[in-house]
Amino acid sequence: MSEIYEQLATGILEGNVPKIPELVQKALDDGLKADDILSNGLVVGMNEVGVRFKSGAMFIPEVLKSAQAMHAGQEVLRQLLAESGSAFSGKIVLGTVKGDLHDIGKNLVGMLCEGAGFEVIDLGFNVEPEKFTEAIKNHQPDIVGMSALLTTTMRAMGYTIKAIEEAGLRDKVKVMVGGAPVDSDFAERIGADGYGHNAVSGSELAKKLIGAA
Amino acid sequence: MRTNYRINSGVRFEMLSQDQLQTLFDGVLHVLENIGLEVHHDEARDILKKTGAWVEGNRVRIPQYLVKRSLEMAPRSFTIYARDGNSKHDIHIGPGRAHFGPGPTPPNFTDVETLERRPYVKDDARVVATVVDALPNIDFCESLGTVSDVHPDLAASYEFAEMFPNTSKPIVAWSYGWDDSEDIHKIAVAEAGGQEAFEKRPNYVHYCEPLSPLVSTFEAVDKLIFAARNRVPLIFTPCPLAGGTAPVTAAGIIIQAAAESWMGLTLAQAIQPGLPFFMGGVLSVMDMNAMILSYGAPELSLMMAGATELAHYAGIPLWQTGGCTDSKVLDEQAALEGSISCFFSALSGGDLCHDVGYTESGITGSILQTVMMDEAIGYSRRITRGIEVNEDTLATDAIHNVGPNGHYLYEEHTHRYYKTEFWYPNLCDRHNYEEWEEEGKKPMRDRVIERTRDILSSHKPSAIKPQTQTAIKEVLEAAESRVKNQQ
Repeated sequence: MSEIYEQLATGILEGNVPKIPELVQKALDDGLKADDILSNGLVVGMNEVGVRFKSGAMFIPEVLKSAQAMHAGQEVLRQLLAESGSAFSGKIVLGTVKGDLHDIGKNLVGMLCEGAGFEVIDLGFNVEPEKFTEAIKNHQPDIVGMSALLTTTMRAMGYTIKAIEEAGLRDKVKVMVGGAPVDSDFAERIGADGYGHNAVSGSELAKKLIGAA
Repeated sequence: MRTNYRINSGVRFEMLSQDQLQTLFDGVLHVLENIGLEVHHDEARDILKKTGAWVEGNRVRIPQYLVKRSLEMAPRSFTIYARDGNSKHDIHIGPGRAHFGPGPTPPNFTDVETLERRPYVKDDARVVATVVDALPNIDFCESLGTVSDVHPDLAASYEFAEMFPNTSKPIVAWSYGWDDSEDIHKIAVAEAGGQEAFEKRPNYVHYCEPLSPLVSTFEAVDKLIFAARNRVPLIFTPCPLAGGTAPVTAAGIIIQAAAESWMGLTLAQAIQPGLPFFMGGVLSVMDMNAMILSYGAPELSLMMAGATELAHYAGIPLWQTGGCTDSKVLDEQAALEGSISCFFSALSGGDLCHDVGYTESGITGSILQTVMMDEAIGYSRRITRGIEVNEDTLATDAIHNVGPNGHYLYEEHTHRYYKTEFWYPNLCDRHNYEEWEEEGKKPMRDRVIERTRDILSSHKPSAIKPQTQTAIKEVLEAAESRVKNQQ
C-alpha cells in the first residue's frame, strides 16, 4: 500500500503532470481514501519539493512543474474531498497591490498554497484596497496575502492594511506580505502578521499562520 | 570603431556582427508589427492611432515604417546641461561617450556613519548628491533610495528637492505620475530661467518604466506625455527578468525590451519630434533559485552590451546598467560584480550607465559602493581610452637616446607623457608593505569609507539661485496641500 504513496510522492517531485492523475485514479480504484492519497502521497511529495528548493537543489521552473502535477492530482480528488467535508486546510485571499501589475510571485504562492491544501481566491493584480476588504467580507478567509514587486508600489500595502482596519476587519484575518522589495522590517512597520521572502517561504508562512489561528 | 582617427584610437569592441544586429532589429520590428503591446492610456492610444499605429481595444501594433521613422527622428547626439553653467558637468551624449551614475528607489540605504542598513530618508538624497558632485568619474545623479520620512506620495518630489541644490551634475528624475513630474519640472525650470530657456539647455532627464512583458502602463505613459510636452529628455525603458517576464535567452530579452522602449519612442516622437530619447533598461536574469533579479550576474553585462549595440545600430542612445551587486555589504563580491559591469559598460559605450551604487540586488542603496565604483570606472576608462599609435608615441627617438642598458626616467619624452599615459589611483593602494602598515594596514573597504566621509565633510557643491530656493519651497508646500486634500 505504501508503494503507491511513494509513487505519488515521486511523481510530484519529478513534476510528472500526465502520470499523477493516472496514479491518483489507480489509488482510488485500489480502495484508498481521497484524504490519505492527498496527505500521504501528494502532500509528502510537495513538502519534499519545498525542502529541496530551499537547499538549492531544485529550481523554480521545476517547482512549478511539481505544483502543476499537484494541481492535476487535486482535480481528480476535488469532488471526493468536498463530499467528505475535509476539503481545505484554510482559505487564503491573494492579490498584487494597487499600481503593481507583477504577479509571478503571487501566482507561485497561490499554486504552492493550493498544493498545501488551501482554498485560494486570487484577486489578480492592481488590486485596490477596497477590493481586498470586499473579498474579506465575501469570502471570510483566514489569511490575506499581498504582493508587490516595485519599490514604488509597496506603499499600497500600508494603505490596504489601513483600509482593512477601518472596515473593522483587521482582527478577522492574518495578513502576510511578500515581494522583492519587502522585508521583515517593512512588514512590521505596516502592521502585517508576517512576511515571506519568496514563494516557498510564503506558502510555508501561510501554513504557520493557519496553525496559529 | 574610429581606427582612422590620428589623435585617439580607443578600443574596438564588438559583441554582435552586423548580420546579428540586423536580425535583432528585424525581430523588434516583428514584435511591434505583429504582436504589439497593451497601452493602458486612452489619450496615448489616440495619439498613436493618429500617427499611424494600428489600435484594437488596448492592443497597439506599430507598422515597421513608423518605427523606423520614429528612430530617425530621435537624436543620436545631444547635451544635458549642468544647472550652474559649469561645462565640465555637462553630459554630451554621442558615439563613443560612456557616462555613469547611481540609480533610483531602493527602500534601504547603507548609513555612511554607522554602516547599518536602514530605511532611506530625505537627508540621504542630499548625501548622495553631494558625493556624486565630487566624484571624478560619476557624471549624473540619482537618489539611491525612496524617501520614507515624508508622505509616501511625495517621495519623488522631496528627493529631487534635496538633490538639486547639492549637485550641479544633471539629475535623472523619477516620479509616481503627472503631479510629481510637474513638481520636479517646476524646480528645474526655475533654475534654468523659464520653460524656453530649459528647452534650449535641459538640466535633467525624466525616467519612465513600463511593464514587462509588453505593457505600457498608465503611469509610465502619462509621465512620458508630460516629459514629451515639456521637452524633457526622456528615458522609457523596462526592467525585464529573463526567464520570468522576458524570454530566457539574451537575444529574446533584448528584442522584447527594445519593443517595449520603442512603443514609448513612437509616442514621444509623435508628440514632440526630435525629443532626446533613451532606450535600454535593466536586462538581467531571474535567478531560478533565489528568485531575484540578479544585479551581479554576468548575463547583465552580456545583455546590456547587446542592447547597447542594438541601440547604436538603430541610431539612438542607451540607458545602461552597471556598478551594481547582489552582495549585501561592501565586500569582495560587490567589488567583483560592480567592476566587471562598469568595465563592460565602458567597453560597449553605454551612453548613461545607471545603478552604480545598487547593492543587495537593488534593495539597498549604498553611496559607498558608488565611491568604490568611481575607482573602477576611472580604471576602465583608462583602458577604453586605448593606445595611441603615432610617430611620437612609437618613441623610436627616445629608444635611440636611451639605448641598451639605459633608463627612461630622465627622458623628455617620459616627462611629457607620464602624467597622462598612466592612470593614478585614488583608492587602490600601491605602497610597499611597511608604508601600508604605517598608514594603519587599511583594506580598500576602509579607504572607501574614509573617502566618502571626507567628501561629505569638505565638499561644497555650487549653490542654486535664490529664485529656485523659493520655487522649491512653494512646490513642496503646494504638494503637501495636494496630498492633504486628496485624503
